[in-house]
Amino acid sequence: MKRNRNVGIIGVGQSRYSSHREEVNQPEMIHEAVVEALAMAGMTMDEVDCIVHGNMELFEMVHQPDLWHTIGTGAFGRENIRITTGGTTGATIACAADNLVASGLHDVVMAIGFEKLQEGHTTGGITNMADPLWARQLQTGALTGMTAAEMIEEFGEERAKKASMKYRILMDENCMRNQKAHRRLGLTMDQADDLMVNSPALVGELRMIHMCSQSDGACVVIFASEEKAKQLGIAPAWVKDHITAHREEMFCIFGREPYKTSMRYCAEKLFERNNIKDPRKEIDVFEMYDPSSWWGTDWIREFLLLEGDEHLKMVENSDIAFDGSFPINPSGGVIGSNPIGATALVRVAEAALQVMGKAGEHQLPKPINQALASGFGGTMWTVLMLLTKQPPV
Amino acid sequence: MTTYDKADYKESFVVKGKLALPYQYFAGRTGSKFLIALRDKKKILGVRCNTCKKVFVPPRQTCEKCFEDLSENWVELSDKGVVTDFTVVRYAEPHQPVKPPYILAMIKLDGADTPFAHIVRGVAPSKMKEGLKVQAQFAKKTTSTIMDIECFRPASGQFELGYSYDELEIGMSASFTKTITETDVYLFAGISGDFNPMHLNEEFAKKTPFGTRIAHGALPQSLIASVLGMKLPGLGTVALEINTRFLGPTYFGDTVTASAEVIEKLEKKRWVRLELRWINQHGKLIGIGDALVIPPAPAG
Repeated sequence: MKRNRNVGIIGVGQSRYSSHREEVNQPEMIHEAVVEALAMAGMTMDEVDCIVHGNMELFEMVHQPDLWHTIGTGAFGRENIRITTGGTTGATIACAADNLVASGLHDVVMAIGFEKLQEGHTTGGITNMADPLWARQLQTGALTGMTAAEMIEEFGEERAKKASMKYRILMDENCMRNQKAHRRLGLTMDQADDLMVNSPALVGELRMIHMCSQSDGACVVIFASEEKAKQLGIAPAWVKDHITAHREEMFCIFGREPYKTSMRYCAEKLFERNNIKDPRKEIDVFEMYDPSSWWGTDWIREFLLLEGDEHLKMVENSDIAFDGSFPINPSGGVIGSNPIGATALVRVAEAALQVMGKAGEHQLPKPINQALASGFGGTMWTVLMLLTKQPPV
Repeated sequence: MTTYDKADYKESFVVKGKLALPYQYFAGRTGSKFLIALRDKKKILGVRCNTCKKVFVPPRQTCEKCFEDLSENWVELSDKGVVTDFTVVRYAEPHQPVKPPYILAMIKLDGADTPFAHIVRGVAPSKMKEGLKVQAQFAKKTTSTIMDIECFRPASGQFELGYSYDELEIGMSASFTKTITETDVYLFAGISGDFNPMHLNEEFAKKTPFGTRIAHGALPQSLIASVLGMKLPGLGTVALEINTRFLGPTYFGDTVTASAEVIEKLEKKRWVRLELRWINQHGKLIGIGDALVIPPAPAG
């Protein structure tokens, strides 16, 4: 990828995340995040050149919501691009916004992701994406117990269950530091044994407690050229690089054959071209799109290019905790808040806040020079974005 | 090159599917306040942008042009407004609020700058026009939706004028039927001052060729006034001439139908001649005639 110029994130805004945002309609909810992001960037809407807007198709049963949302987005009279790539939408709009600025087309681009899951029918929308002739019957929406089954097979029932449950409780501890998070349960480690047995089962060993929420919420991230950031006197979180990989097949179309996940594929490429030899040392925080604590635990191995049980050890040793050596999701992650069209953008936003030192109560207690954010969606699609404190050279 | 062969279609399945996509919609605090005022007070509220001075109905939290927060700038609006655009919905869909055909109009309330969509009733689709003044008719039963305004109707003080000269066609007809009672005859005697005993005195009437009391000739004749003035051409008509030839009597209790049919259009004057007929309940022609009228000027 050739970048014409540096791009920095200069503003982040998020609505409060909740299962119900009945007091606001869609554009009103988005407006909350727009106002907050503009305030952080110290600019007005007049300085925004272009808006990239996205969410999940069909989830609220509103066609072309970007048109209607101009009331809340401020898109009136501006270039307004709608992007929807399923779960990765939020990450894709971040990439698109970065591309638009890096290319020189625009100086300031506002990325907007939103979802009001309570208004629609998520599984209905997701089921629609599969081939009606061959695959629709297999669709279970976003719920799958496959990863849990595989981890139990590989590491034994007790170890696998404990690791995924510990991951879950660590995420909730992080949520408790994030006022905007949707689910702030106040879990403690001594509840782990009870929860991993008694939480209602969804599919196999995927239980309610492991699974991400369905949230209402909006996230806004403002991307600006280096010149614009300087002019505003803001030290941005710089976009170093990003990568996207989509897989066509459903999980693994070749049966039980081992395959390279899109997470590992993206991480290998991204680390290679950015000369990252030891991601655990060189990356200071990772905001991961973790739809469940089983996936979250499993994907550490993929994203960090680990082998064997190293990822489990990272969870067991609390390396991924708030004060650990490789903190994951200080925001509380997707298990805590999941307004899907915004979710992957929230990862970029939260990574940026950590780099900029503006994460407030959940700002990590260590210097953050490089942050990684991931997006997940579709049939195992991955987007990774790398942010740095120093402008890329 | 791909060739087109219809036979391929025969051997190809079409997979039919149906998925339910239920949804709900959060009106938000701004939209909810609008609905609550509608439901509880039968008042229509809007919001004003203090920068561009626009008044939005239905209300919105933000002015998309000025990006100003409007959520506290409430204004109460009139329940009267004007139709800025409309369409006639003639196809049927299960989700429609009422059975078609119906008029869906954009209505700009007095004091508002933005029109909003609603149903207009009480106007024939052929008579609907932009600029029509309408008034909200509130629903008897609330649904806490915009349908708490059941529909808009032409505002009172407006009249639906009859057919204009151009709308009238030769062959168009209309009628009015009424049973003539003793009461009618006595009232007509009082109105006209015609107390002729052939109408009021049965003993006297027995000696007339009719053998009993009959109605005044002008009584059944006058039934044509309601046809010309209220039906064909209708409201706004000016009658110039009414010629009548009486062919038979009207007894008490007879049911008389007065009818008019357009027979001539006088292009130069833009007047219309109608043939008039009066028939009783036995089908007997009791009167014929013609009328010359000035139809109402075109609506609008």
